Amino acid sequence: MDVRRRNNITETGNPHGRPVVLAHGFGCDQNMWRLTVPALAEDHRVVLFDYVGSGRSDLSAFTEDRYSSLHGYAQDVVEVCEALDLRDAVFVGHSVSAMTGVLAADLAPERIGALVMVAPSPRYIDDEGYRGGFSAEDIDELLESLEANYLGWSAAMAPVIMGNAERPELGEELKNSFCATDPDMARVFARTTFLSDCRQDLKSVRVPTLVLECTQDAIAPREVGAFVHQAVPGSVLVTLDATGHCPHLSAPEATNRAITAFLAGLR
Amino acid sequence: MMSPLNITVTDTTAGPVLEITGELDYSNATRLRDLLPTLTLESGRRLVLDLAGLTFCDSSGITALIAARTHAQAAGADAALAAVPANTLRILRIVGLDQVFALYPDSEAASRV
Amino acid sequence: MCRTGQQPDPHDSGRGAWTDAAFAALLEDSAEELYDSAPCGYLSTLMDGTIAKINATLLGWLGRDRAEVVGRMRFTDLLTVGGKLYHETHYAPLLRMQGEISGIALEVKRSDGVRMPVLVSSAVKHGSTGEPVLIRTTLFDARDRRAYEEELLRGRKEAEKARKQAEEARRQAEEARRQAEADRARLQEALAVLQQSLLPADLPPIPGMSTAAHYHTASPDRLGGDFYDVFPLDGKRFAFFLGDVCGKGPQAAAVTSLTRYTLRAAALHESDPVTALTTLDTVLHERYTGTGDPRYCTAIFGTVDPDPVSGHATVRLASGGHPPALVLRADGTADYLPTPGGFLVGALPGARFATTGTVLGPGDTLLLYTDGLTEARTGTSRDSLYGDDALLAFATTHAGDAPDALVHALTDLLAGFGDGLDDDTALLALGVPAPAPTPSRT
Repeated sequence: MDVRRRNNITETGNPHGRPVVLAHGFGCDQNMWRLTVPALAEDHRVVLFDYVGSGRSDLSAFTEDRYSSLHGYAQDVVEVCEALDLRDAVFVGHSVSAMTGVLAADLAPERIGALVMVAPSPRYIDDEGYRGGFSAEDIDELLESLEANYLGWSAAMAPVIMGNAERPELGEELKNSFCATDPDMARVFARTTFLSDCRQDLKSVRVPTLVLECTQDAIAPREVGAFVHQAVPGSVLVTLDATGHCPHLSAPEATNRAITAFLAGLR
Repeated sequence: MMSPLNITVTDTTAGPVLEITGELDYSNATRLRDLLPTLTLESGRRLVLDLAGLTFCDSSGITALIAARTHAQAAGADAALAAVPANTLRILRIVGLDQVFALYPDSEAASRV
Repeated sequence: MCRTGQQPDPHDSGRGAWTDAAFAALLEDSAEELYDSAPCGYLSTLMDGTIAKINATLLGWLGRDRAEVVGRMRFTDLLTVGGKLYHETHYAPLLRMQGEISGIALEVKRSDGVRMPVLVSSAVKHGSTGEPVLIRTTLFDARDRRAYEEELLRGRKEAEKARKQAEEARRQAEEARRQAEADRARLQEALAVLQQSLLPADLPPIPGMSTAAHYHTASPDRLGGDFYDVFPLDGKRFAFFLGDVCGKGPQAAAVTSLTRYTLRAAALHESDPVTALTTLDTVLHERYTGTGDPRYCTAIFGTVDPDPVSGHATVRLASGGHPPALVLRADGTADYLPTPGGFLVGALPGARFATTGTVLGPGDTLLLYTDGLTEARTGTSRDSLYGDDALLAFATTHAGDAPDALVHALTDLLAGFGDGLDDDTALLALGVPAPAPTPSRT
């Protein structure tokens, strides 16, 4: 199995630096780190990848069975680390990927030595004594939106789905495409993401952890950031003066400052 | 496939007359046998099987004729064959039934007893 | 419209006047009025999503006042929860990275809670130093389009469902067919085994005589009711029989089996042919009378006593309602051995059986057969049968044949009947071999 091709692994930065693995969340692909990479490249070996079913991963490797659980995605992370023989890497995960990192660090502790959680949420659905922000019906609405947009994007998506998206003349057409993928795979990822519950897993984190939250986040409200910070032993919480669920895009400088400061403190 | 078979029942003073026309074979002989319990037969009366229109009769047909005779005898009645065609008569002779059934040239003669 | 190189149109001047008037009317429309009452929704937000400006069309769609929206709500507050999720996971990141995004299907929630599908496009406006300052968003009413898309989607889902159902139905049918085929194969195998049990695997050798037999099965699905057997009685004599049980199928096969073993047992006890048939008659009567399902058979039972000194074999026969045996002589003649008056076996109380006998000399052969042979259809009509006369003529041409040659010829004859042969047919031939031909024989 060629994991590099399967997960569309990209390497950049300083090959002698400590490895930093940047993992996208539900919705997009490794492109969402484009404003983060420059801040890390000088001192770190930067590894980017797409989960199977997202971006330019090998869609034929997708099976509903494996990717119906966050463990399937965590397995992707471990296999990416193994393919590059990464040791003691810093895993930076956005949103649901922060939880994937927790699971991966548990599976392969020698590979992952620190975690950066960007806008994490261990559970999106409200529960007794816990406010995640959503109900199960909300997730169904999201699935509807995915389907509605798939119709509009399908023409542009066709070459991606068919696996010949390398043709440069398609660049313009593919504008919206890296946040779109096969609707069936997107549906599985959406369900896995929004129906997951990793609250218990947080307690077993044994590595230095940075939790980044935004002041205004419709997906991961501040209560959730506080919950994660409390649950992960010894974690550091930084609240960014940013709006939305993607501070690395909406407030890249502040996000990069927080991450590089955390990385510097690890040495 | 069911072969063409038609059975008409007429009650005479002597007893019921069954006019059997067409082919009496494996595929339909049970129709004759199923008809037997519906007949009114009393002691001293006679069941007549009119075979004038019988074009074919195989061993299942022969079985049905024997069943008719057995049924009549159980009621204390008698059974007779009328107007037996030559080919059926040949079979009846081979199997000895010509000695068992009373044979008549037609059903009128058979019912006159 | 392009009219280059054409003569001026006489009406051009009139239409030009109308166009000018229309343009004038448009120009009177102020930009502000156009913004507010445009047929689409306009919205400007700060980079954090706070709504700074909104047009009347969109407020009308939302059923809200400007005052409750501007400066108080964010764009995502206008969306359904699912739309919010989609906005945060897809729309906002793309907008940030591309600076613009177009034609995304979302749903806004009106103040009364009703959802309204819209197509949303946004562009980021940058300040003089290149920093992003606000987002301009346009919303188009997509109710009709959404209805159409939902129809498409529903069609696609139904087609997929129908395809899956059809596939499942096909799979089940295939499975049922395979099962039925397996069942049928098993049944035929069982029937073949059962049929074999009704017939001897091999005929025992009779000193000074030769024998041959053939069984034609009309249908592999229906057990036949014909039977035959040959077996030794004592050191010298042999018994043989051949018959036809009325009917077909498992019940007939049960009668066949009972018949075969009854005749064998009876013959060993008392070899007289009439006695053997009488015993069978009694057994069948006891077994089937009163069951409402009378069972009977026709049969010829015989004994043969070959004399090694004279080279002749004495045959004694009894018939119960069975077609007469044929004897084919070495001199080229053939005759029936009539047994008139013999009753069906098992059908009637007090049955009588007819007897006959003959002596077979060298080259003579005795043939027993069932009525499948004589009642084979030779024409389209059901009563144009092969018949006794044709069989006698056939036998005459084969007089002098040894049993295996005769049975072989008859097997070819049966094959020639094709579909006309619709009943099982059993053949059994016993003969005294002719002496080796010598030059002096004519």
